[in-house]
This record gives sequence, structure tokens and C-alpha cells, in this order.
Amino acid sequence: MEQMTTGNFVFAAVLLGAAGFFSFNAQRLARYLQFGTGAESSRVSDMPTRVRNLLVIGFAQSKILRDPLAGPLHAGVFWGFIVLTLGSIEILLQGVFNGFSYDAFLPRSVFAAYTLSQEFFALLVLGAVSALIWRRVVTKPKRLQGPGTHQAEAIFILSMIAGLMVTLFLMSGFASARQHGMEPGMHPIGAVLGRAFGGLSDSTKFAGFAINWWAHALLLLVFLNFLPYSKHLHVLTSLINTFFSNTSGPGTKGAMKPMDLEAEGVEIFGAKDVEQLSWKNLLDGYSCTECGRCTAACPANITGKLLSPRKIVVDTRARLLEKAPVLAARLEVVATGATHSGGEIGGDAHGDAHGGGHAVAEVPAPDAATQAILDKSLLDHYITEEELWACTSCRACVQECPVSIDQLEIINEMRRNLVLTESRFPEELLPAFEGMEQKGNPWAFAPGDRAAWAEGLSIPTMAELAASNDTPEILFWVGCMGSFDDRAKKVTVAFARILKAAGVNFAILGQEESCHGDPARRMGNEYLYQVLAKAAVETLNGYKITTIVTHCPHCFHQIGSEFPQWGGTYEVIHHSEYLERLLRDGRVPMQEEDNERLVVAYHDSCYLGRYNDVYDAPRETLRRALPILDLVEPKRTKDRGLCCGAGGGRMWMEEKEGKRINVERTEELLATGAETIAVACPFCMTMISDGVTAKGASTEVLDLAEIVAGRLALEAARSAS
Amino acid sequence: MKIAVCIKRVPDMDVKFKIAASGTAVDESGLKYDMSDFDGYAAEAALQINEKSGGGEITAICLGPDAVGETLRKALSMGIDKAVQLKCDAVPFDGYAIAQALAAELKGGNYDLILFGRMSIDSSNQSVGPMVAELLGLPCVSAASRLDVSAKTSGTAQRELEGASETVSFPLPAVVTIDEGVARPRYPSLKGIMAAKKKPLEVKPAQLGAVSVTVSKMELPPERAAGRIIGEGADAVPELVRLLQTEAKVL
Repeated sequence: MEQMTTGNFVFAAVLLGAAGFFSFNAQRLARYLQFGTGAESSRVSDMPTRVRNLLVIGFAQSKILRDPLAGPLHAGVFWGFIVLTLGSIEILLQGVFNGFSYDAFLPRSVFAAYTLSQEFFALLVLGAVSALIWRRVVTKPKRLQGPGTHQAEAIFILSMIAGLMVTLFLMSGFASARQHGMEPGMHPIGAVLGRAFGGLSDSTKFAGFAINWWAHALLLLVFLNFLPYSKHLHVLTSLINTFFSNTSGPGTKGAMKPMDLEAEGVEIFGAKDVEQLSWKNLLDGYSCTECGRCTAACPANITGKLLSPRKIVVDTRARLLEKAPVLAARLEVVATGATHSGGEIGGDAHGDAHGGGHAVAEVPAPDAATQAILDKSLLDHYITEEELWACTSCRACVQECPVSIDQLEIINEMRRNLVLTESRFPEELLPAFEGMEQKGNPWAFAPGDRAAWAEGLSIPTMAELAASNDTPEILFWVGCMGSFDDRAKKVTVAFARILKAAGVNFAILGQEESCHGDPARRMGNEYLYQVLAKAAVETLNGYKITTIVTHCPHCFHQIGSEFPQWGGTYEVIHHSEYLERLLRDGRVPMQEEDNERLVVAYHDSCYLGRYNDVYDAPRETLRRALPILDLVEPKRTKDRGLCCGAGGGRMWMEEKEGKRINVERTEELLATGAETIAVACPFCMTMISDGVTAKGASTEVLDLAEIVAGRLALEAARSAS
Repeated sequence: MKIAVCIKRVPDMDVKFKIAASGTAVDESGLKYDMSDFDGYAAEAALQINEKSGGGEITAICLGPDAVGETLRKALSMGIDKAVQLKCDAVPFDGYAIAQALAAELKGGNYDLILFGRMSIDSSNQSVGPMVAELLGLPCVSAASRLDVSAKTSGTAQRELEGASETVSFPLPAVVTIDEGVARPRYPSLKGIMAAKKKPLEVKPAQLGAVSVTVSKMELPPERAAGRIIGEGADAVPELVRLLQTEAKVL
């Protein structure tokens, strides 16, 4: 290593300054996260799954690669950056220690592989970044536009990356021209450029190298320090976010967080502002780089509603970066020795819902500008009610996000605030709330009619079996739709007929069944939900139920994934899975092959698919029930399937803006040319049937159970009905 | 403004009622109870009056056994400030006996306004509000579908008539019974439900008047006779017309 030069000292000073500034910003942003709600034990559970997510979703870019064009381009830049970081460290060390090179420490072959890798990945990054700039400037994909996007910033950042790569090559070229002793094979591009620069004078070559070295090193430091001020912060936080995210597990996918409704002194339920969101929701804000994959998959957004999941996340970040500095400054005043009594950091008299854990202390009255910031809130000033109520909770946004952001959790927390704290919700929801509360179903049907569909079918109730000390193989949880809705009741009867034909010993709860409150929970009414869920758990536990089968995916998800929160742990099976099992085991007596070819399109239910990963069982059920089946898939299918529009309580709300989601979905299904549309959810059944009617089509919409029941062997069919 | 809202706990009407063994009341088993609909409108009206003026106090009063505590809590969770239960074993049918108990409670209360629902949806007597007004010597407006008492010493109310509406003026204090149309009762927020747990609920013995009117018999309406199919298509029309003329006597 050579003597340190003036240049080395200058660079060391610059490096120190840049590192210091970066560290200041990193700490500032980390501190802002603490304004969210406190620790969540669920974020550090199941380390093996977290590491797997980090490796698969993070490093292997599995979700990024779902986009066949932008995916590989981004992955190229990402992997390139990881490899090039080695080179960046060498360059920064070179700046401080004159002539530093890994060459001095590494065997020649390893060093050669290193230099070659640097050139290879730099070329990859340059190519990918150029394509990405082209995409932003020329082809302009729709998902990169819209509210919450920073176009100029994106192009600036991409240009900076391109600049880094160009200076790297030029540096290598000038170095090669100055004959630094590397074989051309170790850096082919540098060697080619070196030959081109061969005719230049030595001083020009030296200057060329020095200029490009400084440009590269300074660009690198500027880039690093620009990150905390830009949407490109995701470079620093997305891997961390992926690690702490629960959207692909650990834990139960899609289960909403239980709220402690008995907590003392709570004035704000749900999230009105960033302080009531968790630190993880806030980290989601830092990690969003506005790629728009979420918004492009959102059924509400696709059909012209105001909701954009990306905007929800970008707004969360914007509000945090607006409010947190004010809160931090006010905390500072406290920390530097004011008396500790009265006052409130947040500038209002209300307590904090989840207890941010900040000392309550005397803070001077805020000035007008500060007060204006404190008076605003994420709800209303950034995100409107209309956006929040447009969500169908279909989870498409969560599924798509390459950095595992949970847009839906922010939406759900804000809905909770609207209902629980402010009692603000679309007026159509009131009858649904009252129906669930007073009649045990969201349509306010007379509870006495719950088991009317079963009249004459001689299906025992749990109460009857318990009286004779009998235990059924399964409990058939019928659900409110299946019990009261005329169309869904046919599905219920069809499924009961199959169970009977297969000789399954089953029972129903009859009039003891009551809504589990899932619609209330999805609509933000956690209080009503908990009352209903706890009552249902009590009923089920009272009969020591172990296995439950239901044909409603919402019941399936709620009882299977969320009842454990209230001490209700059962094996819950959706009828698509149960039918597949019965057919596979040959328990269902089916008709002989009738050589009739049927073209069927299956519509995935969100709560079955994206919430619970059941994609194959319904399709397999169809294949087994219909031997010569032509199963066709709509444009959006499986984990990319488009919602029918009924989830998240949308079933009970008017759809006033834009195109109707069910019509959009039905068009996709009809475009397959299917003769029959198969569904596995009573909500989807309503929406798709309405869609077919709206399109003036005559395509049949049938539930899986109806398709199977339609092919029961005649003998069996007769005796079961 | 100091307002009293008198509410009643009634069974959910959307069920098939059964007559109790006594033959003079409904079988209460399995029934769900809630605040009478019109009383909900009255509570909402009171809340809006004080929200607009930015002050005052609202007391909800309910007569009945301890189960009415639940109904009073609901009123409190809507935002009403305090509650009084006038305790008695059962709510008598005789509105005058109830009115005397309520009047005894309301008398010394210095209320500017006393609100009732237009009628209770279970017994539909429409009598208690006007009787209380009479007992207290206060002006009474019944079945108001709009109410304005912003003047503090007087108010106006709108009443719906067959094919018309009238606006009446009255001095305060006064008794007003509320029809639907004033305002839809708010859905209690969780915040309201939590706050309601800490609000005062006073229990006093009801000073019921003598009961002179009682139910002697209660019966369900007769079952509708089963329908009859007399044929299909145009051929059946003459027979249908004949039966409508001779049997049903509607043509």
C-alpha cells in the first residue's frame, strides 16, 4: 500500500461526512417508527419462516419475478447491486488507502473471478436500468402512473444508477489504458475501452481515470444519502420489511389482529393517524417504492373506484414524515428538562389507543404551523372514508406486493376507527350490524327459519345427537347465506344430499347456529364481531366439536383461521376439499360416464384462494365429478383471480362509482367460452349470477356441490332426497 | 338544555309471537329486547339539540324491572349523560299508572324539555306522553316529525297530517312525543359503549298509580286459510270470476 495522499485525506473527510449524514438520517427514520404502536410479539415468531421469506421473497425476488418483464429487469439490478457492493467497498477503501486492491489479499483466480463478476453485473445493471428508463419515459405502463407516484424522482434515481455503471466502465477503461497489470480476460469491457483510449496522452488517461473514480465514488455517496429522502428508501428497508412481514406467514394468513376492547383509558380505537398504526405498518410506508403492482391488481381500482392500495401506503409514509418531526421536536423539548406534568405530546387531550409509551409531560403550546400539522390526521386529510369502504378485502394487493407490505391491515385499522370511535359508516351497513346483533344474521332473517331448508331431510341437530350421546363425523356449518338465501339454500341442500349419499354421519347446529361475526369484523365493527365470535365458540366448544365442514369460504376462514383467537380450535374443511376427499375415496356413488363434454370455468373465491391457498381442491373436485371436463381458466385466475366484489362487507354496500366489479369479473369468465361457471362460495354465487344476468347471458352458474349432486347415481340421489 | 327522554324496553317485533299460558300476555321466552323505535328517535333528537347548542344534560328514564338497565345503557352509549330506572316488577298495561310514576320523577327535575317516542311499538297506546304533560301541567305536542328548540324559551315542531303537515309553536318547558323523521338514531360507537359503563344509572322505586285498565285476553290473529288451485290457463277464468263474486265477494 502506498503513502496516503492529499486526495486520500480529502476523500476520507468526504466519506466521514457522508457516513455521518447517512447515519443521522437512518436513526431519524428508525426513531419515527417508534411513534407507532409498541412491540408486537407476532413479528419475531417463527424465525425459520422469516428467514425463508427473506431468502425466497427477498433475495430470490420470487414476487418481483411475477411480472414477466419488469421482474427480471428489477432482479437484475438487485442481484447486480449485491455483487457490485463488493466493488464499491474496494473503491471506497481505495479512496482512503491509496492503491488499495483486493488483489493484495486474494489468490489471482479468485480476484479474476471478482473483477469479471463486477463487469458482468455492471453490464447487466446498465442494460436493465436503461430498459427501465425506457419503460418509464416511452412505454409508460399504467401501473406506474396515478396518485402517489413520483415520476421525476424515479427517473433521477435510475439515471444515477446508470451513471454509476458508466463511470465504473470508464474507470476500468482508463485503468486498462494505463496498463495496471490485469489480463484483458479479467475485465473484457475495460480492456476494449482501454484500447480505445490507448492513443490518449498519459496525463489525459490519468485525468480520465481520476475524474471517473471521483465521479463514481461521489455518486455512490450521493445515492446513499439521497435514499432516505426518496421513494427509493426501499433499497434500505425492503429486506427488513420482508423479514418482519407476516403476509406470507408466519402465523395464520389473512387473520385480522384481535383488539383488546377492555383496555383502560383508550379513547381512540383503530387507527385515525400514524400513531395508532403499528411500527410495521409505518415500515411498510418506508418500503414502498410505488411500483403499483398492488393497485394494478385491486378490483376496486380496476373498476374505477377511488381506492388505490399504493396510495394508502404512500399516504401513510407522507403523513409519518409530516407528523413525526413535529412529535420528535416536542419530545426533545421534554427530554431537555421540562417539568413532568400535564400536557400531551400529540397536542390534543386524547390518550393513545395502543399506548405509544411516550412520557406525558409539559410541552409548550405549539405555534400555528405546528398546530396545523397536529390538527390533521391520516384519516380524512390523506385517506378518505370513500377509499376505505371501497375495499373488498380480497387480498390481491397483499399477494402482489414484492416487499410484503400489508396494505389491507392499514385499511382494516382505519375502518375500525371509523366504526368503533366515530360511528361513521355507509348507512347501508346499519341494518347489517343490527341484523347480526339482534337476529344473528346480517340480513335480519327470522332466526327461527335458520334450519327451514332442512325440513323433511331428516338431518339431526347437535342438540338431538347430544341427547342420545351420539357424536357425528362432522358438523356441517351452514352459514347465514346457506341458511337463508334462496339460491344458496339449494347449494346447502345439494351438499347435504351428497353427504347422505356418501354415508357421512353429520349434524347441523340448527337454530343454535348464529353468525360468527366475520362480516362485522371486516366492516370494522370489532366489538360486535367479538360478541358474536365468542358466542359461537361457546356453542361449538359446548358440543366438543372437532371437525367442521362448510360451503362458505368466509365461514371457513373465520372459524378456521380466526376462532383460535377466542379459544376455538377445530379442523375446519371447506366443502371443495371435503368433496374432493369423498370423491377420491370413492365414497360418493356417481353416475356412469355419459360422454357429455362440458366446458367449465372455475371462479376462485378470495377467502378460499388467497386467504387459505385452496386452489387445487375445487378444480380436482370438478375433474373427478365430470370425467370429460374441459376446465378453462379466465384471464385472471388462482392467486391472481379477480374478486367477485362482495368481500370486506361490500356485499351490503351500494356500488355507486365506476363499473361494477361483478360485471368485470363475469365478463372475464364469459370470455372463456364456458358453458358453466363453477363457484365455491355463496357470495360469489350471488355476484356472478347477477353479473351473468346483467350481461344478458344464459351461462349457468353452479356451486361445486350442485355439480357433484347433479351426477349422483340415481339410486343414491333418490334415497338421499 | 336540560332534557329528559322517557324510553321503553320492548321485544323485537320481527318474530312469531306466542301467547303465554296466562292468556293475557306474550310468551317472553326466546324474545330479544331493545329500545322502542320511536324512543330511539326521541333520544337522537335530544342528543342533536344539545350537540347543536353545545351544552346541557340529558337524562334517560325507563320504567320496569332490572332488565331495563340494558336498554338504559344503550341510551347512555348513544351519548345520553345519565339514566334513571323506575323500578317495578312488571310494566303495567295502564298508561295512566305509568304516567303517574314518570310525572313523580320528572316533577322536581327542572327539565326544559321532556321527550317521548310517539308510542311504544309493543302496546301502541300513544297515551303516556300526553298524560305526563297533563299531570305536570305542561304544554304537549304529539307526534312531532321535526323539532326546533334553539330559542331556549320556546320551540316549534312539525306534525305530519294526512296529505299535509302543520307547524306548531309552544313555550318551554314542554312535553313532545317524537315521530320518525326527526333523525335516525345513531349507532353507538365502542367509545360510547365504554363511556356508558361509567355513567350514572340511578335506581328508584316506581311510584306507580293505581292500575285500572288490564288485559283480559290476548289472542293471535286467525291463521290464513290455505289457498286453492282451481285450474290452469284461460279455462279456469270463468270459475275464478264466479268464486270471486260468490265466495270471496270482492267483485
